[in-house]
Amino acid sequence: MGHSASNQHKISVKENRKKKHLYFGIMALDENMDKIREIIASAEEEIKSIEVEKDIPLELDLGNLLVTDINEIDKGKFSDENEVEEYLKNLARDGVQSILNAVYELPTDTIDNNIYALIPKPTTRLPREKPVPKPKPLTKWEQYAKEKGIKKTKKPTKIWDEILKEWVPKYGYLKAAAERKKNWVLEVPENADPFEDQFRKMSEKKKERIARNEYQRLSNIARAKNVKVPKLGVTSETMKSKFEMKTALEQTRLSTASLGKFQKTLQKEKPLPERKRGEKRKLPATNNSFAGIEQERKRSLKILSKMKKSELDYEMAVNKQIKMENVQMSHTGKKNANSGRRSKRGGRQRGKSEYKALSKGLSQKIKSKGSKGSKASKGSKGKQSGGKRKRK
Amino acid sequence: MVKLQRVVKPRTHKAKLALENREPKLIENTKTALFLHGHNTSELTRRCLKDLFALKRNFAKHMHQKNKIMPFEDIVPLEKFAQQYDSSLFGLINHSKKRPHNLILGRMFDYHLLDMVELGLEQYKSLTDIPGTKVSVGTKCCLVFCGPDFESDEKYKRLKSLLLDFFRGVEATSLRLQGFEHALFFFLNEGKLYIRSYKILFRKSGMRKPRVELMEIGPSSTMTIRRTKFASKDLFKRACKEPKKLQPKKKKNISKNALGTKLGRVHMTKQDIDNLQTRKVRALKSDKKSKSPAGVGTDL
Repeated sequence: MGHSASNQHKISVKENRKKKHLYFGIMALDENMDKIREIIASAEEEIKSIEVEKDIPLELDLGNLLVTDINEIDKGKFSDENEVEEYLKNLARDGVQSILNAVYELPTDTIDNNIYALIPKPTTRLPREKPVPKPKPLTKWEQYAKEKGIKKTKKPTKIWDEILKEWVPKYGYLKAAAERKKNWVLEVPENADPFEDQFRKMSEKKKERIARNEYQRLSNIARAKNVKVPKLGVTSETMKSKFEMKTALEQTRLSTASLGKFQKTLQKEKPLPERKRGEKRKLPATNNSFAGIEQERKRSLKILSKMKKSELDYEMAVNKQIKMENVQMSHTGKKNANSGRRSKRGGRQRGKSEYKALSKGLSQKIKSKGSKGSKASKGSKGKQSGGKRKRK
Repeated sequence: MVKLQRVVKPRTHKAKLALENREPKLIENTKTALFLHGHNTSELTRRCLKDLFALKRNFAKHMHQKNKIMPFEDIVPLEKFAQQYDSSLFGLINHSKKRPHNLILGRMFDYHLLDMVELGLEQYKSLTDIPGTKVSVGTKCCLVFCGPDFESDEKYKRLKSLLLDFFRGVEATSLRLQGFEHALFFFLNEGKLYIRSYKILFRKSGMRKPRVELMEIGPSSTMTIRRTKFASKDLFKRACKEPKKLQPKKKKNISKNALGTKLGRVHMTKQDIDNLQTRKVRALKSDKKSKSPAGVGTDL
């Protein structure tokens, strides 16, 4: 509970006077020294000041009972562990003391013999838990009422019922019971089907009203959230898009006896497009006629000409064969060789130069394709020999 | 027809109230905390969490089961918990070889993470380790922040804000003068956070204001600050937005001059000079006699 020298404490004038008085007492009474010493000790305890002095004054936020001390830290205290605790305690004490000093100066209120300090609002801005609430969107009726200036009038919750001879609530508790009591018998209206169940009709009507109300509640929510909701009543599923709607409208305009000839155009309405007659599909002539047979012959010949293959290209065939064999070879050879390291398999299977040669061969092939003749045969020969080497 | 999404109304009054309580409000509820165990915990951290819960008892929920939540890797499960329990503060403990005795404190805004800080417990003394009487539950504690870093460094500024948010408790309008019992002390030095908890004792000072003495009651801890994840300035600003309705209205026609004197501007209606009553002088009196020019001289 002691204090470090760094905390300077002022001794108020009033306290000083107390001390002097006590010292005077010591001189006067020699016999009761011990007793007096005790008193002095207790007085000494009292004398400790309540003032807090810092280089930078402490920053207070009484709403949160928060105090911030940004004075420099005495780093020398951190070498000894016990000293640290004492140091921290003193710092904390000064902070709390400054809060209490400020709180005791606030306006107070007394309730049940307890004194309460009226705390101001916090000054430190802290983040909210949830965003600021948005105003509740108006329902369709509320919006209409607002526009028209219609104000809610208080209506009685209970209405005098002539049949029951009692006050019946308009809705809610005991309303259903009263209704049951009242409607034990129902009149069949004139011109109505005598075999119709009036009770059933009534309950169905009520159900409908409930459903309508629920729908309106939902549509109000949907409007608030800006969601499109289909309108009440029959909705067509067929015309979904604007385009479909437009074509349907054109169709109706054209669908008069005079094919829309005398149809008036509305303001800003586009004039009717000229009726496009669909191109007639010409079917191939039947086989029975002579022309039909001729046509069919031509058609089949055309197909046949497409199907007919050119003469066998020896070069290409041979190359193909070689390639296939090579692939097969490599597959069979690599089956065992693939396992283990490449170095143990005897290095690369195919050198870079061989790849180059292969590509050259390929280019030769392309050239040979361009000019048919002796050159082509030469190229093929070279390729053949290459293939032979591979096979060894 | 498009299928409408069902918008269900609460069926009972209780449920309705519960839902209303969750909605955003102008003046918000006191923030509640959620205390969770991570995938693996140590004895030290468990005790720490228990003490934190004891400090925030009225506005906290303590979950005892292990959860495989790593907030710095994936915050989503924690955000789900926050939504489920409608709490915006959280404290999560875990313990691993890489980060032993880990305590993660954080806060949410609109069920999404705002700030989060990871603290490593180095020394810890729990409430039970220190003998003596403790403070009563639910007292508003004095918060003392000490260290120049709390003002100078942006990171520690946010840390201070987080700790303040965590421990400030109920927003009070009036406090009993004799009711100051508890003080929490946060000290920052070289990246280390010292948290101490004291009981406030009043001593006579010879004046109305008492002399304060402190007695340590625990929990007391020394922590290192590990990883942090603070909200961007933009988000933080959005979270701190004050509703317009709560902002004080500006009073018209009142101003202060450089010397601090309050000045008021008063608007008057135009004075009717025509019917103004001036000094009554006989000369100005208009009667029948004065109308004749000869009469004026004779009267005097």
